[in-house]
Amino acid sequence: MRFGRLVAFAAMIFTTLFASFSTHSADTFVFTAIPDQDESRLKERFDKVAAYLSDALDVPVKYIPVKSYPAAVTAFRNNQVQLAWFGGLSGVQARNAVEGSRAIAQGAEDPLFETYFIAHSSTGLKASDSFPGGIAGMTFTFGSKGSTSGRLMPEFHIRENLGKSPDEAFEKVGFSGDHSKTIALVQSGAYQVGAVNFQVWKKELEAGIVDPAKVSVIWQTPPYPDYQWSIRGDVDERWSEGFTEKVTQALVDMKDPDLLASFPRTAFIPASNSDFQPIEDTAKALKLID
Amino acid sequence: MFHLSEESFGYRDTPVLKKISLQIQPGEKVALVGESGSGKSTLLSLLYQRHRPDCAYVPQEPALVRSLSVFHNVYMGQLDRHNSAYNLLNLAWPRKKQVAAIRTLLKSLGLEDKIFTRAGELSGGQQQRTAVCRALFQGGPALLADEPVSAADLNHAEQSLSAMTAHFETLILAMHDVDLALAYTQRVIGIRHGRVVLDAPTQGLTRQDLAFVYRDAGAEA
Amino acid sequence: MRVQRPEYPAAVKVSLAFVGLALACLAVADLSISTLDPWTELQRMAWGLLTPDFLAIPSLWDALLKTVSFALCGVALGASAGFLLAQAFHWGPVRWLCAFVRAVHEIFWAFILLQIFGLTPLTGILAIAIPYAGICAKVYSETLEEAPAAALALLPAGSSRISAFFFVRLPDVWVHIKNYTSYRFECGLRSSAVLGFIGLPTLGFHLETAFGEGLYSEAAALLMIFYLLIATLRYWMRPRLLPLYVLAAPFLLGAGAEMQMSNLLRFFTQDIIPAPLRNADLGAAETWQALAEWLQYLWSQQALPGMIATVVLTQIALVATGLLALGFFPLISRQFMGPVGRRLGHVFLVVLRSTPEFILAYVFLQLWGPSMLPAVVALALHNGAIIGHLLGRYSDQLRLRPDASRGINRYGYEILPRLYGQYLAFLFYRWEIIMRETAILGILGIATLGFYIDSALSEIRLDRVVLLILFTATLNIGIDSLSRQIRQRLRLSHQIRET
Repeated sequence: MRFGRLVAFAAMIFTTLFASFSTHSADTFVFTAIPDQDESRLKERFDKVAAYLSDALDVPVKYIPVKSYPAAVTAFRNNQVQLAWFGGLSGVQARNAVEGSRAIAQGAEDPLFETYFIAHSSTGLKASDSFPGGIAGMTFTFGSKGSTSGRLMPEFHIRENLGKSPDEAFEKVGFSGDHSKTIALVQSGAYQVGAVNFQVWKKELEAGIVDPAKVSVIWQTPPYPDYQWSIRGDVDERWSEGFTEKVTQALVDMKDPDLLASFPRTAFIPASNSDFQPIEDTAKALKLID
Repeated sequence: MFHLSEESFGYRDTPVLKKISLQIQPGEKVALVGESGSGKSTLLSLLYQRHRPDCAYVPQEPALVRSLSVFHNVYMGQLDRHNSAYNLLNLAWPRKKQVAAIRTLLKSLGLEDKIFTRAGELSGGQQQRTAVCRALFQGGPALLADEPVSAADLNHAEQSLSAMTAHFETLILAMHDVDLALAYTQRVIGIRHGRVVLDAPTQGLTRQDLAFVYRDAGAEA
Repeated sequence: MRVQRPEYPAAVKVSLAFVGLALACLAVADLSISTLDPWTELQRMAWGLLTPDFLAIPSLWDALLKTVSFALCGVALGASAGFLLAQAFHWGPVRWLCAFVRAVHEIFWAFILLQIFGLTPLTGILAIAIPYAGICAKVYSETLEEAPAAALALLPAGSSRISAFFFVRLPDVWVHIKNYTSYRFECGLRSSAVLGFIGLPTLGFHLETAFGEGLYSEAAALLMIFYLLIATLRYWMRPRLLPLYVLAAPFLLGAGAEMQMSNLLRFFTQDIIPAPLRNADLGAAETWQALAEWLQYLWSQQALPGMIATVVLTQIALVATGLLALGFFPLISRQFMGPVGRRLGHVFLVVLRSTPEFILAYVFLQLWGPSMLPAVVALALHNGAIIGHLLGRYSDQLRLRPDASRGINRYGYEILPRLYGQYLAFLFYRWEIIMRETAILGILGIATLGFYIDSALSEIRLDRVVLLILFTATLNIGIDSLSRQIRQRLRLSHQIRET
């Protein structure tokens, strides 16, 4: 009877699955990263970074791709990755969730990160040094929900300056999902105003993707710290004494422009948890974390 | 062996059997005759419900599992004699011993060549013989058969009836064909409108003697 | 003088009521196109479709293999579990459990399982297997009820239940079970692909990236490969090869990340405990006060608005689906089309029904900007194509008299009246499925329940995630039972295996 065979195979699936988990080497150091732009071929690009780290640390290193910040935080929390390239907010969430974990390095650009408010030309808004109060009542798009530059910081400044939540301040609020999409949406007029990571803006402007006749920057936020590498607190115990320092050093020593382009950053510099205190305070103020 | 006194039976508000009394001894071979709708089938199934462990039963509709072979349908008559594991094994890979036993029975009914044909692919008459064969394989002291040869030609009908009389000590046959009924039984019970209107030994009875049982049927036709 | 008109039959009245409700929903729904220039993007997409780039994605074949493997493992496990559950389906708790697990969408299951098992193959397999077990249990148990009762009554008195099951109950319905399971496998392929959108290494993973980055030639290649996979299903999915596939599939899933049991424990003992109760003094009145506020906030700010939006969108999509289905089915019906026309019609409907709603909605969202419009169009196209396909096949079986009218008269006077009951049955059956999808589309930014679930997830607030998913499941179960009641009242057949 076919059905009997089916049950047998179902049982077999389970056994093989568990077998495949248990044979997985426990000593592989696993990391993940979601860059703030160009998510294509993540695996191919970051496998090179894994090879570099493996050489520098002398342990097997593996990259696993994830689709979103929450997925990265979950993997970090579940100890399925021990090192992750996080945004400011996701880094805070992750380190809050894993005791003893530390921010160890950040991009050279990251301590002074900025968000640009951009507007479609039809709004008539012009660049200014002070917060553009004229955006109230328009349609507005953030980046992804868990993004620091695309959500946390712009929302903070909107609340500060307009005295209202985004839902109240704007006719319609959206989450584009990522920075490139935010630019595309504002440029197409789907939203009148948007908030975007300044790095992505600059890169797309250079690449000619941005049409200055249709969309332009109307305000820059004050600088804040953003992306960083965070590592779990239990890695020294699991790999070797001083492993955290070794990882930090390896990151800071990463000079190959090809590797750095994946993030994309010009270099990595050391960082510490306290660098991100302003982000944590802001997230608390916005009730995004408890 | 079978015993009813003043029993009535019906579906919802429609009485089918009215105050029936009967006594059938072990070893008796009885024909139930009557027009269709007279209550023969109801009487048979009532007797089957009461005496299920001792009886094999051939219902009017052959009640086969259409996607299983004739062999398996017949084997179902002995599902209670083996443990489940053996039954399942026999389902996947028919055992030689069972095949041999069933082949012998099928041979006596002229169905030997169909042993591994799926029941759904058989003709009406062949399905009926398969149902008879299942009852033969099940065995036991008594057989209740409801029109077991209605779809068979005379030759096959006689094969089936001989086999049934040979295998079972006690036999109750609901029959449409009066001549066959008289040939294979020793006692005839006539049912009309849910009542026993005739109960007599077969010997000496003729077709004409039974005509009154069917009176209305003739008028309707 | 008054002309006497016939009274409308109940089925028509119910239909009109649903249309009226949908119109009322339209009044409150946001259906705007917010992009100023959707045509440029559409042109780029169309160009991508004409220039599919099959070599662009190095891991394309790997993704394809994994899509099939996840579907195989998930469906095999789900169908087996469903088959066992079907044996106890008459028992209330089993029935409720099945109703619950199938009321939660695969993606929501994946969200939960990701927290427990992380990015391991088990997450993907169970995300498919759990809801499919509930669906299969229900359908299998309904199917098994059609086993030949007469033969069952005839078995010798002492036959064991197991023997009776395999000899009598199973054989005659086995072919239906097989057909339904293979249909489920096709659904499993779609589910497996869509799970890529949230991180599993299947086709959806690359599709999301390709669309997100505007690499439409890659996206087109991925979609075409997916269609090819489904269109050729009957050539490579042979019963004889199935054991081989099922045996090989687990090895093709990849290892993923490590799995740790401590995560499972933490999920149930901490993560899903409402925040005000976590590490709190359960004897203190403030704790319960805080819990009440927490619930109040979640209900009034997220669950209720989410449910309203979900219902509004569902009702509009349901009626739009119905209208499209009426337009689609003649495309493949012998009553209206010649062989060439039917062939084209089939290709059109196959493409629409093979594309998961989620992917359609994602594409339309890129085109028109976020509103309910992309969701309505996506749901209506996909489900309309499914019902259109079923109606078309059904209409082929109708025997008309030789001198029956043609064209539009045939449609209105001959075919539609004969099809209408079946049509409504299909639609009502689809109602709950549309609602399940509607909730999911929230992940894309439409303010249905999925939007709030996704938000809570991005804040790593799993207590909220779980509660909101429970609300979603309850809503689904409610719609399912309402639909069953309407079907019974209208005496519509409920045995629809192929939807």
